[in-house]
Amino acid sequence: MTSVVNRVLGRGPRHPEPRKEATAGRPIEDLPVPPEVILPLQQSLGDPALPIVKKGEVVRRGQKVAEAQGSGVPLHATIGGKVKAIERQSHPTLVLAPAVVITRLGPEAAPDLEFAEDPEWAALPRAEMLARIREAGIVGLGGAAFPTHRKLQLPPGVTVDTLVINGAECEPYLTSDYALMLAEPRAVVEGARLIARIVGVPRVLFGVESDKPDAAAALERAAREGADGLEMRVVVVPSRYPQGAEKQLVHALTGRAIPPRALPYVVHVVVQNVATAAAVRDAVRFRRPLLDRIVTVTGPGVAEPRNVRAPIGAPLAELVRFCGGMREDATRVISGGPMMGRALPRLDVPLVKGMNGLVLLTGKGPLEDGYGPCIQCGRCLDACPLGLEPNQISIRVEAGRATEAAEFGAEDCYECGACGFVCPAQRPLVQFVQVAKSALRKERANRKAAG
Amino acid sequence: MSQTPESAARPLVLGAGPHLRTSESTRRIMWWVNAALMPTAAWGVWAFGPPALEVIASAVAGAVGGEWLATRALRQRATVGDGSAVCTGLLLALTLPPLVPWWAALIGGAFAILLGKMIFGGLGYNLFNPAMIGRAFMMASFPVAMTTGWSVPGPRNWYIRLEAITTATPLGIMREQSVAAAIHSIGGPAGWLRLLMGLRPGSIGEVSVILITVGALALLARGIVRLHAPFGVFVGLAIMTSLTGAAWLHLLSGGVWLGAFFMATDYVTSPTTGRGQFLFGVIIGLLTGLIRIWGGYPEGICFAILISNATVPAINMWLRPRRLRAAGAPS
Repeated sequence: MTSVVNRVLGRGPRHPEPRKEATAGRPIEDLPVPPEVILPLQQSLGDPALPIVKKGEVVRRGQKVAEAQGSGVPLHATIGGKVKAIERQSHPTLVLAPAVVITRLGPEAAPDLEFAEDPEWAALPRAEMLARIREAGIVGLGGAAFPTHRKLQLPPGVTVDTLVINGAECEPYLTSDYALMLAEPRAVVEGARLIARIVGVPRVLFGVESDKPDAAAALERAAREGADGLEMRVVVVPSRYPQGAEKQLVHALTGRAIPPRALPYVVHVVVQNVATAAAVRDAVRFRRPLLDRIVTVTGPGVAEPRNVRAPIGAPLAELVRFCGGMREDATRVISGGPMMGRALPRLDVPLVKGMNGLVLLTGKGPLEDGYGPCIQCGRCLDACPLGLEPNQISIRVEAGRATEAAEFGAEDCYECGACGFVCPAQRPLVQFVQVAKSALRKERANRKAAG
Repeated sequence: MSQTPESAARPLVLGAGPHLRTSESTRRIMWWVNAALMPTAAWGVWAFGPPALEVIASAVAGAVGGEWLATRALRQRATVGDGSAVCTGLLLALTLPPLVPWWAALIGGAFAILLGKMIFGGLGYNLFNPAMIGRAFMMASFPVAMTTGWSVPGPRNWYIRLEAITTATPLGIMREQSVAAAIHSIGGPAGWLRLLMGLRPGSIGEVSVILITVGALALLARGIVRLHAPFGVFVGLAIMTSLTGAAWLHLLSGGVWLGAFFMATDYVTSPTTGRGQFLFGVIIGLLTGLIRIWGGYPEGICFAILISNATVPAINMWLRPRRLRAAGAPS
């Protein structure tokens, strides 16, 4: 009812446009083997990997160079070459972090490892599949980089009935998942089947945004091919940021709302990104580790936007060079999507497993001109996918009463940035929410300490 | 380490996300509102002549000057460029009778900004609509000028003050005499056309329903206003004035259209959700009718808006956005 009234009486919420024209429908292009890769030992949540190679050692592409520790995953050489150093190197999120640096040698000196198909791959026991996923070093490729084998091991007592494969890719500019769905829909579907078997669900739902109808059709064709009793459906969801956020997609596909700060299994759902599903297929079927990833190098600041398949660890400067270089007017480089990604200070950092986009933007950055007072226009309320009140949160934080922001949902926010996008006063609403969250955490800790 | 010469050439800008931002800005919105008021103001100047232009200029000068002085005295960043002071002065002027002395409009404009906005902390913090604060201040300070400054539209009548006190406008006649007399004053039942066009005595900017609508449509198309609040105003006023049997006359008279489209939609002093805005509009409409029928003034929209402004914080706390919730599923 309200939505009908809104439609008649005024323009509804405004959202960032997809802006995917530059690379949508473009093929995946392979980056020429870079002269050097930097493989940070920590590329995901969990413990960093422990190097098992020495400086000067020759390693082949696909060879393990660092062993998993604790909750982490192992790391593999992504080009054939010589270990140049194991030392602290620049890192896109950790600034400086230990990494294995490999310099390229020709295929004669360091031939790639071959990964042959395991004929038994379709009927492996669950534990073996999980072990292969871990051994392949797979982490969530949609950006979060959570170790996949851990995500697939549900806590005892939890039952799930649906696997959601996330192909929404709602971040503006990015098309890496789109390109993958078009190029390798079978790999995605096979991976989804394997994951469904691991978590033991009868139903797989693929969520694809409506601006990618050809990707949805490709997945649908691939899903029809193998019939093994699994219910597989491709659901086209409205293309509207942040449709690909876990909470939004699960709600759109199943009608179930994940409670604030809870994981999807609470509503009996497991979510995996399409690229992760394809990597799982490679790991289980071929025992192939995660060596490359598809990354969209795009934005108005790059000469020739492309979907690039590049070895993990490739310097971002190589990627930009492959795409024709930076334009004169480029001012900012964003790792990930422009809504939730991070601005990078330099390009001599490596591609890491979770990086799905490299967006070069032009013009002034957010807040370069400062920001104004809240004028209560209500645009952020329309934009917020959760129905939170960023305006009120920001005003409370500005007034030095951050703990009052809980009332307006500060702690439920997953920081998609839709509010900050629409704010005409250019207010840093996400950052206000972050301040509120930390104040609330502190308050809670104090209360606990007090008894 | 390989590095493209391009990337080495200049430092990259760092900043917190989201890294994309709408091109809309507070300043742009305010100037759009000012532009949307231009047709209405132009009609007022044509209909009521140089005195109306004088009033508009004085009120805007008062508002802008008041804000400039306040920011200077408080050593704040100058904010007059954001267009909101111009907007306040303009809106105030459009609600004034055309023959109000220029100095009264000037003082009114300054008071509107100083007491209506700056004293609360400037843009975004005021509870009441500054233009309406200015008008209420003028009603209290210059009651005679504010109730007798009417003239008949048209170049021949620019300087002719209507003599009969408070019975000049259709609403005034309706109040002092009867509905029938008011209908007679606009030329019979067919007079609705004259009301639409703005061929009646009244405040500078309230008379031309059509041109107010043109401005409002521009804002609507631009996505700056929504119709929730204006729609509410008309609903509320229609309900209340249907008691008089001449709801149409009430809906087309006085400052309802200007108030509904340009004051009930003021971001700062109206609720933030669509439902809240509708309720806010209904309250304004009901109060306007109440004041017109039983209150002490022929026109009630100004006080109706001010009273309703006071309900906004409560409405915002009551009609909140809907949180994402489960829709018929387990758990």
